[in-house]
Amino acid sequence: MKQKKLRNNLHKVMAVPAFILFFIFFIYPLFQSIGLSLTNWNGFSKATFIGIRNFITFFSDSRALNDIKVTVLFALGSAPLLNIFGLVYALLLDKEFKGKSLVRVIVYLPAVISPLIMGYLWYFILQPQRGVLFTVLSHAGWVISGNWLGKSGPALVVLILVNVWQFVGMTMIIYLAGLQTISPEMYEASDMEGAGYWTTLRYVTLPLLLPSIKINVITNIIGSLSVFEIIIALTDGGPGYATESLSIYILRMVHGSFTGYSTAVALILFFIILIPVFISLKVMKRMEYEA
Amino acid sequence: MNWIRIIQKTGKYITLVVISFLSLIPFYILITIGLSKNVGKLKIDFSFLPDFHFVNFILAWTKSGLGISLVNSFVITSGALVILVIFSSSAGYSIARFASPFNRTILNIFLLCMMIPGIINTVALYTLMIKIGGINTRWAMILVLSANSLPFSVFLYTNFIRSIPRDVEESAIIDGCTWFSAFWRVTFHFLKPVTAAVAILQGLGIWNNYAQAVFFLQRKDVRTIPLAISMFFQQYGANWSLMAGAAIIGLAPAVLIFLFFQKFFIKGIISGAVKG
Amino acid sequence: MKRTVTLLMCFVIFGVSFPLFAGGQKEGKKAPVTVTFFTGKSETVDWMDKLIADFNKKYPGIKVTQEFQKDASSVIKVKFASGDIPDITTVVNQDYIDQGMYMDLSNESWWSRILPSIKDLCTDIKSGKQYKVATNVTTAGIFYNKEVFNKLGLKEALTWKDFVGNLETIKKANPGMVPMFLAGKDSWTLGHLIEFLAHGIIKQEYGIMGSRKAFIYNQQDKLKFAQAGGPMDIFAGRIMELKAKGLINSDSLTATYDDQKTALATGKTALISQGMWAFRDIMKINPDAEIGFSPFPAIADGTKPVVISAEDSAYAITSASKHKKEAVIFLNYLFQPDNQKSYSEFLKMPSAFTDVNADWGPLKDDVKKALSIAVNIPFTETPSGFSGDDAGRMVQQLIAGKYATSLDFAKAYADTWNKAWNAAK
Repeated sequence: MKQKKLRNNLHKVMAVPAFILFFIFFIYPLFQSIGLSLTNWNGFSKATFIGIRNFITFFSDSRALNDIKVTVLFALGSAPLLNIFGLVYALLLDKEFKGKSLVRVIVYLPAVISPLIMGYLWYFILQPQRGVLFTVLSHAGWVISGNWLGKSGPALVVLILVNVWQFVGMTMIIYLAGLQTISPEMYEASDMEGAGYWTTLRYVTLPLLLPSIKINVITNIIGSLSVFEIIIALTDGGPGYATESLSIYILRMVHGSFTGYSTAVALILFFIILIPVFISLKVMKRMEYEA
Repeated sequence: MNWIRIIQKTGKYITLVVISFLSLIPFYILITIGLSKNVGKLKIDFSFLPDFHFVNFILAWTKSGLGISLVNSFVITSGALVILVIFSSSAGYSIARFASPFNRTILNIFLLCMMIPGIINTVALYTLMIKIGGINTRWAMILVLSANSLPFSVFLYTNFIRSIPRDVEESAIIDGCTWFSAFWRVTFHFLKPVTAAVAILQGLGIWNNYAQAVFFLQRKDVRTIPLAISMFFQQYGANWSLMAGAAIIGLAPAVLIFLFFQKFFIKGIISGAVKG
Repeated sequence: MKRTVTLLMCFVIFGVSFPLFAGGQKEGKKAPVTVTFFTGKSETVDWMDKLIADFNKKYPGIKVTQEFQKDASSVIKVKFASGDIPDITTVVNQDYIDQGMYMDLSNESWWSRILPSIKDLCTDIKSGKQYKVATNVTTAGIFYNKEVFNKLGLKEALTWKDFVGNLETIKKANPGMVPMFLAGKDSWTLGHLIEFLAHGIIKQEYGIMGSRKAFIYNQQDKLKFAQAGGPMDIFAGRIMELKAKGLINSDSLTATYDDQKTALATGKTALISQGMWAFRDIMKINPDAEIGFSPFPAIADGTKPVVISAEDSAYAITSASKHKKEAVIFLNYLFQPDNQKSYSEFLKMPSAFTDVNADWGPLKDDVKKALSIAVNIPFTETPSGFSGDDAGRMVQQLIAGKYATSLDFAKAYADTWNKAWNAAK
């Protein structure tokens, strides 16, 4: 009898296994991180509690501040571009025409591949003096220094473009998905009222795309702010630390003897991610009301 | 009137060709280098045809030990996906169908944690892994990676199940099922699109994972593809053909699986990812 | 429904746990004892693989496996922390010696065969014991293109003025040639410049033992890292000068170690700063290249030219190793004179064993001369949180123009060094 009762109520607790797994491998370490971030643990000897000194150190550490700048600039470049290009691609590929699915597959293809391998691939192309692009350009008679990766500004631009190139397919697919949920009648109605393409886009398509926009904006913010592999492969954070992101900094601090400090940096990164995510969620909520 | 349409159409197709070209050119370059006879230097002769020097692939394969890494990647990805699909679909079902403060709290925690990238936990997770003896084991990697992917998957499943009418289960209940068994017997079969979306989006993330793997999989015999490739590149940095050969071997499984299932993939994401 | 669940569970168990446990613990039964060898020396991976294959054949009870990682000095930390500790490693660091991570090798049989100067360099300053053993003597200095030097009538530079003069002459005579080629993408090569040129000043002033103590105990009164006119300040000034005068390659921040070797071998550059470990590859790229070797010029007035003459190919056995006996057996095999002769000739680097007579290469005479005219200095023992890689990244910044003055660089360097030194305690 008891067993039957249990069976009849099982559906209410079906989220528990997922939650337990998540608790052990995510939430518990997260809380532990907070504890570790208040120590000077170096990875092997005993840790001492040092209060918030790690956080104070962070904000007087010019390398760390530079890494925040790099990470934020990368995200500021990458997230909007991903969304804009993804949306434009999706609008182009939403229409019926021959070869539609082929082009979709091609555009999505780079997103399938590990960013690390992708970074190395682009290094073949972009390496100054020896890369494919340099060789082609100098063959074509263009005198060019090809020093794209050797200066902080251009290197960051290259990183952003490579990232956008790789993941534009991902955003595009999500937008395509959103576009398919919009029923043709909506467009017809708009057409009847004599609205042009841009007016329809602004007042019909975009508002109805909000769920997709939400997913894309948030995943792109998170992804861009925790960028890691592509930088490792393309510039290794260099020259110097000019393109080092916070994620790489965390890894390197672990590899050095700054383990406690590295968790403090990780928590700071968390807050850096949280702020724009919450702002964009708020903004989109307001847009939902207006629409 | 007609010629405007023609111009529009050709303009559109030109755009599409440009887009495709942009996406494909690096692959073309990679293959050309991988098949090139020249080892160190780059030779551009504008013949646009590779040398077809397949020896590079054989060399890359034997030197890199990518075989064991392929097995590791397959085991870890499939293991994590099985856990992920079972756990997050049932969680999504319970959350979507049976509102309770308990389920709401769990969903909110997942939603909040969706914003936290995995790397933040790495150090603490590392100490946990040492305690449970999970370093250099595939089972622990499976658990870590599936846990990392849970929030987004639960989110997708919850949204999707909300969009399916309740009648689906109700008829099964009438036939004497419990709500629990109705899920596995009936609802689960309706979840194919969202399962496809989860498998693609999260499966690729797990397959390509590097940031966690670089910490937890130190030993040669448990390394995954991205790790093996990066090790290989560190060692044979001068030999571009060999590197390109290894890169092609490394990215081939993901590309092949994607191309093979591409219809299902894109459809799955389209119908699974954005609902409600 | 049960069927579905059972099926799924079967899938889970079959698909996941089977291969997972199968791969987990292979060392169980009466399989040979596995000795893991963790190395950061990419040049020797292939040679070592061959030797290991031979060894495994001759000693069926032991199975040695090699693991290479480029960032070995960083990765070893993760390995120590995780308990996935190799039995033998090439990475030896003072922090880890202090932590008791290595086995004491002082009483092993091979020391009587090793040059006393190398034994000294293998000796831990703090305890007087040997925790590592090095098999070779490496030298590092300037490798140059003899053809160009002869054609232009240049002499090996021993002072900074002559060095820059040489580079300028080369630049004027061969506009297409890079006077000096730096491999900035591989930041350790830039880190070496600090150890050779900047620390060279300290090393010659306080002698080998005195300077080792100064580094290990962080005696800033001797190191003078942050001081105006101190070694770091002078060094940074010199690098800035090279850059300002256009004497280094334009891609000095993105070129790799491999690019550097290729540039010298194919006559694209006149000189590079490297160690003997690079020589084998250079000769492989172009066997006809005429390469000379000279000391580093004195970078500060009143100091002498220096040349690195130090231990190379060091091995340590970890104290956590469960197979210390087997590890020693492997090292003994590796240290056999014929194997060391082969190693030495393969690497083109003289042996540290007195009973190994290797014909290690055409640079023999050049090196002998360099060692006699310049102060012989060792590598620097840095804190584990501030490896040669990290130091090299600071030189990258320097070249990229991040520091307005050479003193800014010196202060930043001192700051990072002190932080790492304190963290390791």
